[in-house]
Amino acid sequence: MASDPLSITFAALADPTRRAILARLATGGEATVNELAEPFAMSLQAVSKHLKVLEAAGLILRGSNAQYRPCRLDPEPLDNAVEWIARHRQIWTDRFDLLGDHLRLIQQQAADAATDTDQQEQEQ
Amino acid sequence: MNDTANAGQNLGELTFVRIYDAPRELVYTCMITPEHLTHFWGPPGVSAPLDKITIDPRPGGVFDTVIVDDASGEEYPSHGVFIEVVEPEKLVWSEPDVEGGMTNSMTFKDLGDGRTEVTVHQTNVPEMYRSPEAQEGMTASFDRFAAYVKTLAGS
Repeated sequence: MASDPLSITFAALADPTRRAILARLATGGEATVNELAEPFAMSLQAVSKHLKVLEAAGLILRGSNAQYRPCRLDPEPLDNAVEWIARHRQIWTDRFDLLGDHLRLIQQQAADAATDTDQQEQEQ
Repeated sequence: MNDTANAGQNLGELTFVRIYDAPRELVYTCMITPEHLTHFWGPPGVSAPLDKITIDPRPGGVFDTVIVDDASGEEYPSHGVFIEVVEPEKLVWSEPDVEGGMTNSMTFKDLGDGRTEVTVHQTNVPEMYRSPEAQEGMTASFDRFAAYVKTLAGS
């Protein structure tokens, strides 16, 4: 398993239950394990396991109240993931734009060269 | 210019598509020829000097470039290795040094009317694809999800 922060974020987000938990925390603010487990047909232990993965990935923060340990979203790793995507998208958008300019230019040059040759042939 | 979807389809993967008014052979040639690549590889504000580009389009061949920041003169070398080369249809290369490893797949589709559709598919962090829990979540659109959660979080 990769250990860089971005890989951990992506891996934590790979599971649909964990994504649903994050979406719930994003809309509803803090929630306890019981509240988070409600919509899912799974045991509290199973939900707790998912929460541990999210906590290890830094995607959620948990309160210190030993009994309830309410969870809330920490958007920073998501920021990094969104930033990574935006950066790569920008690189290829720029590259594609410039490639388009370049293709137009070299096709124009080829067309001009062909016209010149035609004219020279006609003159001869 | 037709610029179509560039949203990621799968978790941790990005896809970029662009259609060009140019024949497929020409677009492909631009990608594997340093004299062409130097004109478009570096985004605005940086350049990709011709003498620092090495392209050996065959499996195991290198795809090395250096991006130079025009303002600071700082150099950012990039080292790639071709995995698959199907002229003039497909180029696949990996960049083992980038953020835990990244594979780029570029396909050139002849649209039959003089235009060519270019698709770049990037997969990052290959390690994650080996874990079973990552495999099962691959169908989700991470791209939209992350943006969505961010919006909801209001930060």
